[in-house]
Amino acid sequence: MRINTTRFGRIDVDGGDVLAFPSGLPGLEDCREWALLADSENDALGWLQSTTRPDIALAVVSPRRFVPDYQVRIPRSELTPLAIDDIRHAQVVVVVGQNAKILTLNLKAPIVINLESRTGRQVVASGELPMQYELSTERPPLKKSA
Amino acid sequence: MLVLSRQRDESIMIGDNIVVTIVDIRGDKVRLGINAPSEIPVHRQEVYEAIQRENLRASRLEPNDTQDIGKFAGRSQQNNGQSRPPEGPRR
Repeated sequence: MRINTTRFGRIDVDGGDVLAFPSGLPGLEDCREWALLADSENDALGWLQSTTRPDIALAVVSPRRFVPDYQVRIPRSELTPLAIDDIRHAQVVVVVGQNAKILTLNLKAPIVINLESRTGRQVVASGELPMQYELSTERPPLKKSA
Repeated sequence: MLVLSRQRDESIMIGDNIVVTIVDIRGDKVRLGINAPSEIPVHRQEVYEAIQRENLRASRLEPNDTQDIGKFAGRSQQNNGQSRPPEGPRR
């Protein structure tokens, strides 16, 4: 499948690499199909590119690479739609945002991907977690969830 | 908005496959039980709206904005895949 993306130009994605998000994403409910692309310069960064909206892409990272003490607790009801019974069998990424030029990570609502079935969903993790965890070179430990 | 009065243990049906039940009422707090197909996400409204806003904000990022993100990353760890960078076709 060929997508003329606004950020990356024309890309070719194998049909088998496309991820299905049956509920889309909050705010992007109509975007039900995404391709996960690796950033060509940053091996810690990926881009979730909508296959139907060429202008829509989200920067995503593996959370523990940036927040080593991030432990996500996801209610089973959030994992059932993905047919995942154990979070360790899934890939978890978090969305990168920006607040006044500071890059942030949405630790409260990670994106969970079932790599086998190629499906994904944004879930709400339990506990007090920031939706805009600010990335900085001094890293204070994450508050333990209640 | 449709406004209905319900007592504890009573329910409301939305469409033909969503049921909301009053599980408990204590003071000014109501505990609701929701039965819905798993494809339909159910969330506290303010949480869902906050995630919507954050996703829309994040969707405006360009590669220029994230080019320095590597400096915040720790060493790559090869354990159970959780810390591996996402895999996908190189763009």
